[in-house]
Amino acid sequence: MINLNVNRKSYQLDADPDMPLLWAIRDLIGLTGTKFGCGVAQCGACTVHLNGEAVRSCVTKLSRAAGQNVVTIEGLSADNNHPAQLAWNEENVPQCGYCHSGQIMSAAVLLREKPEPTDQDIDDAMAGNLCRCGTYLRIRKAIHLAAELQKKEGGTT
Amino acid sequence: MSVSEEVENLSRRGFLRIAGIAGTALCLGIYMSADAEPRVLTEDEARLANAGIALAAWIIINTNGKVTLICHRAEMGQGVYHSIAQIIAEELEVDLYGIDIQLTQGDEKKYGSQLTGGSSTIRGSYKNLLKLSATAREVLIMAAAARWKVPNTECYAETGNVIHKPSGKKLHYGELVEDAAKLTAPKDVKLKARSEYKVIGKGNHRRDSPLKTNGEAIFGIDKRIPGLQFATVERNPRLRGKVKSFDATAALKVPGVTRVFKVVMGVWDTDREGVAVVATSTWAAMQGKKALKVEWDDTGFEHLSTPEIYSRQRELLKTSEGLTLTTQGDPTGIIAQAKDKLDVVYETPYQSHSCMEPVNCIAHYQVDKVEIWGPVQAPNWIQDYVSKKLGMARENVIVNMTFLGGGFGRKAMPDYPYEAVMVSKEIGAPVQVVWTREDDATQGPYRPGISYRCEGAVENGGITALKFRMAGQNNDHWRGGDNGKANRSTSEGFLKPYYQSIKNISFSDIPFKTPIPTSFWRSVYASTNGFAYESFLDELAHKASKDPMDLRRQYLKDERSQRLLDKMEEVSGWKSRKKNDGYGVAITECFASTVGHIVKVSKKSTGGIHIDKVWVVVDCGWYVNPDIIKAQVEGSIVMAIGAATIHEITFKDGMVEQRNFYDYKMPRITDIPQMDIHIMENDENAGGMGEPGLPAFAPALTNAIFDLTGKRIRKLPFDITTV
Amino acid sequence: MNRIIRPLKNFRPSKSLIVMGVMMYLVALMAFGMNHKAELKKEHPAPFIIKKDSVASVKAFAAVYKVLMSPRCMNCHPSGDIPLQGDDSHLHTMFPKRGLEGKGVLAMKCANCHQPTNTPGVHTPPGNPNWHLPPADMKMVFQGKTPRQLAQQLIDPKRNGHKDMQKLVEHADDGLVLAGWTPGEGRTLPPMSHAAFKKAWLTWLSTGAYAPKK
Repeated sequence: MINLNVNRKSYQLDADPDMPLLWAIRDLIGLTGTKFGCGVAQCGACTVHLNGEAVRSCVTKLSRAAGQNVVTIEGLSADNNHPAQLAWNEENVPQCGYCHSGQIMSAAVLLREKPEPTDQDIDDAMAGNLCRCGTYLRIRKAIHLAAELQKKEGGTT
Repeated sequence: MSVSEEVENLSRRGFLRIAGIAGTALCLGIYMSADAEPRVLTEDEARLANAGIALAAWIIINTNGKVTLICHRAEMGQGVYHSIAQIIAEELEVDLYGIDIQLTQGDEKKYGSQLTGGSSTIRGSYKNLLKLSATAREVLIMAAAARWKVPNTECYAETGNVIHKPSGKKLHYGELVEDAAKLTAPKDVKLKARSEYKVIGKGNHRRDSPLKTNGEAIFGIDKRIPGLQFATVERNPRLRGKVKSFDATAALKVPGVTRVFKVVMGVWDTDREGVAVVATSTWAAMQGKKALKVEWDDTGFEHLSTPEIYSRQRELLKTSEGLTLTTQGDPTGIIAQAKDKLDVVYETPYQSHSCMEPVNCIAHYQVDKVEIWGPVQAPNWIQDYVSKKLGMARENVIVNMTFLGGGFGRKAMPDYPYEAVMVSKEIGAPVQVVWTREDDATQGPYRPGISYRCEGAVENGGITALKFRMAGQNNDHWRGGDNGKANRSTSEGFLKPYYQSIKNISFSDIPFKTPIPTSFWRSVYASTNGFAYESFLDELAHKASKDPMDLRRQYLKDERSQRLLDKMEEVSGWKSRKKNDGYGVAITECFASTVGHIVKVSKKSTGGIHIDKVWVVVDCGWYVNPDIIKAQVEGSIVMAIGAATIHEITFKDGMVEQRNFYDYKMPRITDIPQMDIHIMENDENAGGMGEPGLPAFAPALTNAIFDLTGKRIRKLPFDITTV
Repeated sequence: MNRIIRPLKNFRPSKSLIVMGVMMYLVALMAFGMNHKAELKKEHPAPFIIKKDSVASVKAFAAVYKVLMSPRCMNCHPSGDIPLQGDDSHLHTMFPKRGLEGKGVLAMKCANCHQPTNTPGVHTPPGNPNWHLPPADMKMVFQGKTPRQLAQQLIDPKRNGHKDMQKLVEHADDGLVLAGWTPGEGRTLPPMSHAAFKKAWLTWLSTGAYAPKK
C-alpha cells in the first residue's frame, strides 16, 4: 500500500511503486485534469506540484511521491481563483486547453518564487511546457497579469 | 466530398425550422433534409428534449427560461464552442454566459455535416444561426405581445426577457415558451445590422476557458464510463506491414494486463495490423506493450526512405507534365519564348499533427450497436466507416464528442475509433485505447511532403506567365479518390484575383504514391503550396526589379485586395523600411479568408536569424470574435514556425525516424516573435479562421531572409540558427 | 622525493581546472545525502602520497581529459548557464538554467524531471538523487577548455569547488561521477571504464597533477 496525499486528501493505493504518479492520479484516483502528453518529461502537460515544485508526473515514480504533498490543477485553488487561473481566463489563453493544467502549475511556481517575473524569468520557467496551439504570447501576458493580481491580493499563492 | 463542397451544400440545402414542443420547451434547429416540414415534436421527443437530451434541436429554451445550445461541431481550440453561443446570444437576446452549452453526438440528419475541418463551422452556419436566433426572438415577442394584447412593434427583447416598451411590462422567455411553441414562425425576420451588435464582434471571455484552467474540461482521454478497461496497441512500424506472430508471455506477466491479441485497424481502404494489450490502467497497458515481442511481416510494399521520396519527386517534375487542374492562356509557350524567366523547385516536408492530446478513443461494442466516446473531428465519417466495416446500421454507431486536445486534421480520421471498436469487440467490454506519443509520431497520418516546380517569365517589370507543377501525395487517395484526376487542392492558397490579371497560368498535379498515410494538416495543401507559390512570386518580383508588395498590388487589382495591401503597408511600415532591412511579404487565401503576413528578421549576434516581428492582416469578411481570430493567427504562426524551421517527419527503410518531442521538436515559449494582428472590417461573407492564418508565414519568413541575406530558401524546414 | 600533500598549495592557483571538480562536488553532495561519508573515509584513511613524475602525470591526464570532455561529464559542465544534452552535446532542450545552487530555477528545477534513478526508456531523463550543475559561484566549466586549462582548474581550490587533494582523490568515487557510467538507455559511456578512469585520475594526482603544455 502506498500512501499518497493529493490535494490535501490522503489515498491508500495498492499500486506498483514504479508506476508514474501521472497514472496513479489519473487512472487510480480519477483526477483527470493532469494530462498525458509525451511520457518522457518533454512537454510538461503532466506537471503537478510535489512539495511545491513543478514536477513532471509522467516520470515521477509513486515511490518518490509517497507520503509527500501532491497538488494537481484540481487542487490549486478553491474556486478557479489562483491568480494564474484568473489571469488565464482574463486573457483567453486556452485554445484546445489540453496543456494548460501543466502550464498553470508551472506558472504558479514561477509566481511564488518570482512574484514580479520579467519576460526572461517567464522564458526560464515556462520553456518546459509545450503548447501545440501556440498560446505562448498569451501565457506570457497572463503571467504578467497574474503577478499584478497576486500583488493586489497580498501576495498569496 | 471535399470540405468546401460540404460547406456549400450546408448553406444550399439547410433551412431554418422551429419545432415547438407542446407545453415544455421551444426547440430550434436547422435541418438538412429539404423535405422536412416544421412539426410539433412527439411527446416522447418532447420529454427527452426537456430532460436535456438533444432531439432535433440546436437550441432549446425551457419553461424556466434556460437556454441550451447544442454545439454540433468539434471544439478543438478554434473556439466554436464559444462563438456559436456568441452568435445566438446576439440575435436571441440572451445572456451569453447564461447559455448552457453541450457537446453532442454525431447526427448528420439533425445537424448537417459535423466535419470540423476546412475552417467551416462559422462560415458554414452563421447565416442560419443568426436567422434561427432572430426568428426565435420574434416568436417570443409575438407570444408576449399576444398575451399583453399589444402590437408586436411595441415590444422588444433583452437578456432573455420580452419588454413592453410603453408600460415597462416584462416576461422572461420561459414564461412565453408554451405560447411561442404554438405560433407560426415569421418567414423573414430582420437581422441586426453590424452596427447594432452588442455581443458579436466583441472579444469577450471564452466560455470554454474556465473549464480548461481547473481541470474540469473532459477531453477524450479523460472520459470514463463504468467498466472501462484500458488498452494500447503495438502497431507495425512499417506503415502497411502485417503481424506475422507475437509472443505475449512477458506482457501477460505485467500486473494489470488482462488480454493480448492481434487487432486490425482500417486506415480508409487499407488495413493496419497490430497487437493490442488490454489492462486495468493505461500504464499497465503501456508496460505490457513494452514487454511484447512481435514479428512483423513487411513484404509486398516499398520500404521508402526520405531522400528517395524527394529524388523521385524531382525526377517526376523534370519529366512529367502531370494532370492539369487549371490552365489559362499558354504559359508553356510564353515561358519557352521568354528571355527573363525562372525555373526552380521547392520542397516541403512531411509533418505530424502532434496534437497535445495523444490520439485516443473509447468504444463499447454491444453486438447490435457500438457506442464511441472520443476527441473526434468528424463523427459522421466515423459512423460511415464503422457501420460499413461492421455491416451495422449507421444510426447504431453512436459517436459522442468530447473536447479535443488539438485536432489539426488528424482527428478527422476514423482509424483510431475503429481500432477501439475492434478491441472492444474482442474483449466484450468498453475500452479506451490510448496511443503513446511514439505511436502518434510513428504511425501518422502525416501532411504529405510535396515538391513543386515553379516556372515563370517576366517582361517590362511584370509577370507574363506562371506554370506550377506539384508532385506529392493526394490525401483523397486514402479515401478511394480517383487516381486519374488532378488533386483539386493543387492551387489551394493561390489568390483568385491573380487569374484575372495574369493572363497565362497553369497548375498541374503529378500523381505520386507511397505507402505513407497522409491527411489534412492545418490549412492542408495551402500550407505547402503557399510556401512555393508565394516564394516564387517574390523571386519573380526581384527578377522583374519590382518591390514585392508593388508586384502584388499590380496584379491584385480588386478593391478588397487593394485595401488589404494598404493595411499591410500601413501597419508594418513597409514603405519606410530600408533596403535589405529584412522584410518579407506573402499573402495566401484558403477557406474563404485571405491573410497577409509581413515578417521582419535580423541577424543574430550569435549567428543565424532572429524573427523580430510578424504583422498579419486578416480579411475573413463578417466575423464573430476578433479575439478568437487573433488567437487562431497567433497559434498558426507558432505552428508555422515549427513546420518551417524546427521539425519534419522523415522515413528510413519504410519507418518513421522521429518518435517523440525530443526528436520531433516543438516551438517553445522561447521561440516566439512579436506579433501584430489586424482584421479588416467589411460585410463580405464570413470566411474560415482556424487555418488561413498559417500558410503565408513561411514564405514571408524566407522572403524576409532573402531580403536580409540574399539567400533564397527553397526547402523546408531549414535551420534558422545557421542561415 | 615523497611528500605528503594536504592542500594544493604546491600548485599554482592558475587558470583552469575543472572536470574533476564538478564530479567531486557531486560526489561530495551525494555522499552527504547518501550517508556514504563514513565509507569514503574508510576507503581513503591514509594521506595521499605524491611522487612527482611530470611525464607520467601528463600522460595520465590525457586519459582523464578524454573522460571529462566526454558528453557524460561535460554536458553538466557547460560554458554557459544551460546544461548540454545528448552525445552531440547540444544545448539542453527547453533551456533549463543553472540557478544559484546549480539545481535549476523557478518551475524548471533539475529534479522536476531528473528523478533519483534513471527513467526507463531512451531519451528519458537520466537520474541521480543529487542531479545538478555546479553552482553559480563555482561553475567548474569543462566545455571549451584545453587539457592545460582543465588540469589547472581541477587543482585550483578556488575553481574546483574548494577541494583539497584528499577531496580530489575521493571525488573519483562521487555518486554523480559514477553516474556517468550508468547514463541511462541509449547514451554512450565515457571512453573508458570507471576503474580505468579512476586509475588515471589517481595517477595524475599522485604524480604531481602536472598540467599539459597546451
